[in-house]
Amino acid sequence: MFLHIFLNRLKCLIRDKQVMFWTLMFPILLATMFKMAIPDVVNLEKFEPIDIAVINNVEYQNNIAFNSALSSVSSKESSSDLMFNTKIVNEEEAKELLKNNKISGYIILNDGPKIVVKESGFKQTILKQFINEYLQVTSQYHNILESNPASIQNFISELGSSESYIKEVSSNNDAPNSSVSYYYALIAMTCLYGAMHGMKEVLSVQANQSPQGARVSLAPTNKLKVFASSILAATVIQILIILILLTYLRFALNLDFGNQIGYIILTAVCGSLVGVSFGAMVGSIIKGKEGLKISIIVSFTMLFSFLSGMMWLDIKYIIANKVPILSYINPANVISDAFYALYYYDTYTRFFTNIGVLCVFSIIFYLITFFIMRRQKYASI
Amino acid sequence: MVVKVEKLVKRYNDLIALDHFNLEVKEGEVFGLLGPNGSGKTTAINCILSLLKYDKGNIEVFDKPMAPDAYDIKRDIGIIMQNVAVFDELTVYENIDYFCGLYVTDKEKRKKLVKEAIDFVALNDFKKFYPKKLSGGLLRRLNIACGIAHKPKLIILDEPTVAVDPQSRNNILEGIQKLNAEGATIIYTSHYMEEVEQICSRIAIMDKGKIIATGTKDELKSMIEIGEKISVELFTKVEHILSDIQKIKGVTSVNYENDLLVIKSKRGYNNLTNILDYLKENKISYGRIYSELPTLNDVFLEITGKQLRD
Ligand SMILES: Nc1ncnc2c1ncn2[C@@H]1O[C@H](COP(=O)(O)OP(=O)(O)O)[C@@H](O)[C@H]1O
Ligand SMILES: [Mg+2]
Repeated sequence: MFLHIFLNRLKCLIRDKQVMFWTLMFPILLATMFKMAIPDVVNLEKFEPIDIAVINNVEYQNNIAFNSALSSVSSKESSSDLMFNTKIVNEEEAKELLKNNKISGYIILNDGPKIVVKESGFKQTILKQFINEYLQVTSQYHNILESNPASIQNFISELGSSESYIKEVSSNNDAPNSSVSYYYALIAMTCLYGAMHGMKEVLSVQANQSPQGARVSLAPTNKLKVFASSILAATVIQILIILILLTYLRFALNLDFGNQIGYIILTAVCGSLVGVSFGAMVGSIIKGKEGLKISIIVSFTMLFSFLSGMMWLDIKYIIANKVPILSYINPANVISDAFYALYYYDTYTRFFTNIGVLCVFSIIFYLITFFIMRRQKYASI
Repeated sequence: MVVKVEKLVKRYNDLIALDHFNLEVKEGEVFGLLGPNGSGKTTAINCILSLLKYDKGNIEVFDKPMAPDAYDIKRDIGIIMQNVAVFDELTVYENIDYFCGLYVTDKEKRKKLVKEAIDFVALNDFKKFYPKKLSGGLLRRLNIACGIAHKPKLIILDEPTVAVDPQSRNNILEGIQKLNAEGATIIYTSHYMEEVEQICSRIAIMDKGKIIATGTKDELKSMIEIGEKISVELFTKVEHILSDIQKIKGVTSVNYENDLLVIKSKRGYNNLTNILDYLKENKISYGRIYSELPTLNDVFLEITGKQLRD
């Protein structure tokens, strides 16, 4: 019985042209358009120095090693082969500059260099990478520097050139330049479009939603069991779709996901669970024609995707700063943020936090769906 | 008793859709529920099937209280709803197989049942068709096949012939009689009195959420005062004719409309010859003349004061 329902529901979902368009063809078309519209690799030649600031405090003035390390990669007039455009300011000024987006971040020396940034991005990653490298190298050179100040030159050359940084950031962490961000948002959108499948499955078993549902409800089987196998079919279809999209992005559009493909798939699968459960919830809450529900799902998905930066990347950061709560309750943003976390952070704390948030979303959506669907008799059909 | 409904009350907000509705259907019957649109037929069926909540009343099916999880009862019921309930993405064969699979898990057994259902509604040539490609009549037949493939003991059909061509209609009506002959009890709702008269062994007439009369069609017809109805085509001025005919013994009403004189007599009076004599004596020329026995429409008209179909 379970398999019988599952297989037939798979057929129904695959053969539904309208839903297949939104869930599979539309994301592929959009990805193809992105590919044509946005250049997709960081162009090393065109690399612009990053505007940063350093706080002029006592520790900064006394830390010769850091001082020279920073000035070796900085310039005051923006010359192209250098990494940073560094201003030396006091803390108030630095905060002001950061607030007004004049700098990508600032360094404050307080028992070693710390960075303060407002958002995560390619430039911030480079800054962070520089500090990491500095800390690593200083720990090796620590004693030598103290005994032999002349060795500072070696130390600096060890830190490397700006180009090697960019390359390193690129190769180690798969350089999430801004164009890749659009694809993240696109994958997030595709996950959420799984809602179509979830919605359809609710429709197919709810007596007050469709005559087919009435027929299912009249059968000598627990409706929730029928629903469980239907929703599994929807989930399988959605995961297949997301895998097809990832394959298309990787091999047809040559997008490089680097060595984190396992985590990317995990994110896409969790995102798909959220999408399907979101649709189930919409389907059970809103009583009405399938067309109406599809419009609601499309509108919400597009809104979520827009707010997570699919059309205009800056919106993501604006929201993260002004109304941070919105970034957490927007599933599209959580999905794309999981992708960011994979690249910008060396640890997986933020990534798994996002994955956890996605699971919580799914559970909440399914609980709501369950409480609505548990009803077996209706006041009106 | 296959179905027993007592004092069922169902409200949709302010509207009382079923008002102390009673129903008893015995095994082996083809039971007709006849009533105009909006009289509450579908509501009654949905309450019996435990799809709708109701305000008061008692419902038993196969002598057991009906409930949404009374699976042993549901297993023996087949439903053909008034709205076609098939999946557009599944073919004729797959649809029947899918719904049958909710009742019958054994694959071999199901295969046989699905084949029988397809033969039954004569859709063999359309097995691989998708519902969207079927005409209204064929779609209705598919809808029926989906409801009966598991060989239920009680089959409920809610207006199965709406928007159906005459050929499919006959196929459907004959099919219902065949199912009944094979042992199924049938509940058939319709607002077409001809169909109900044609196939139902017992009929309940419904209006405004109430059963207003129950019985065989002859019993129903004998409940009313009116017997014979004579219609005469006339093309002349008629005032004095009307009053003359009114005086004939047993005549209860005379009406003239659209060149047609309609004379109704009490049960037990046969006035056709009297009227012919009257017309001859007075040298009144007339066109066609015919006499009919009362229909269920007359029954409905007499009880409610309105036509079954307006
Ligand atoms: N879901 C509903 N909400 C409100 N009123 C309804 C609903 N369904 C039916 N009705 C009303 O209840 C009455 C009975 O309807 P219904 O049972 O569909 O009649 P029938 O099947 O005999 O045509 C009608 O007046 C109809 O307008
Ligand atoms: Mg009806």
